Amino acid sequence: MKQIKVLGTGCSKCKTTYNNVLEALKQTGIEAEVVKIEDIEEMMKYNVLTTPVLMIDGVAKVKGRVAEIKEIKELLINDAPIP
Amino acid sequence: MNTEQTLVKEICPTSTQAWIKNGALLVDVREREEVAQLAYDVPEIVNIPLSEFEERYAEIPKDKEVVMVCKAGVRSLRAAGFLINHGYDNVVSMKHGLARWVQKGFPTKGDISGIVSSSASSSCCSTETDAPQNHSCCGSSH
Repeated sequence: MKQIKVLGTGCSKCKTTYNNVLEALKQTGIEAEVVKIEDIEEMMKYNVLTTPVLMIDGVAKVKGRVAEIKEIKELLINDAPIP
Repeated sequence: MNTEQTLVKEICPTSTQAWIKNGALLVDVREREEVAQLAYDVPEIVNIPLSEFEERYAEIPKDKEVVMVCKAGVRSLRAAGFLINHGYDNVVSMKHGLARWVQKGFPTKGDISGIVSSSASSSCCSTETDAPQNHSCCGSSH
């Protein structure tokens, strides 16, 4: 199962990214564990400079802006393991 | 937002004055246009905007004491954490940023009218946050 993390400070952009992730998962039918990280200390472990950050399986895919549903879907599909 | 953390030591603007007297370098991580409008007026300061920080952080000497600064103390905290994670030992972040710096009457260059001071706290060492509430906490916009 994919691990998705949304790192952000709880602002509107971060919430939008989180909601976009949920919507992208719904639309693609891909199962994933989605975690929202708002704790500043936890965020600093990931060397986050600008938020929100979208991480998929430990890799920062989008930094410092809202990740759109379409691009999240593409990231999920492109990263999907070959059956 | 919860800004409590243990990775980065945070100091207040008054303590920053002492660090400056001891030769510390200030690193302002605000964007260029913000600095053009209002800048810290201290002997040793460099501007490395947060949007360029990942590419340029190596310009900061490892053998100097460094105080990270910004407008409200949030961007500087992240940048300080980034430096510590990259092996910098002598890095602190200044709490409350330029807003409190101006409030305390410390030297600046430029127009201070754009600085919103939402806190009237008399102590710059208080633990309350004074990040302007009308600014986004995202990206490099605060």
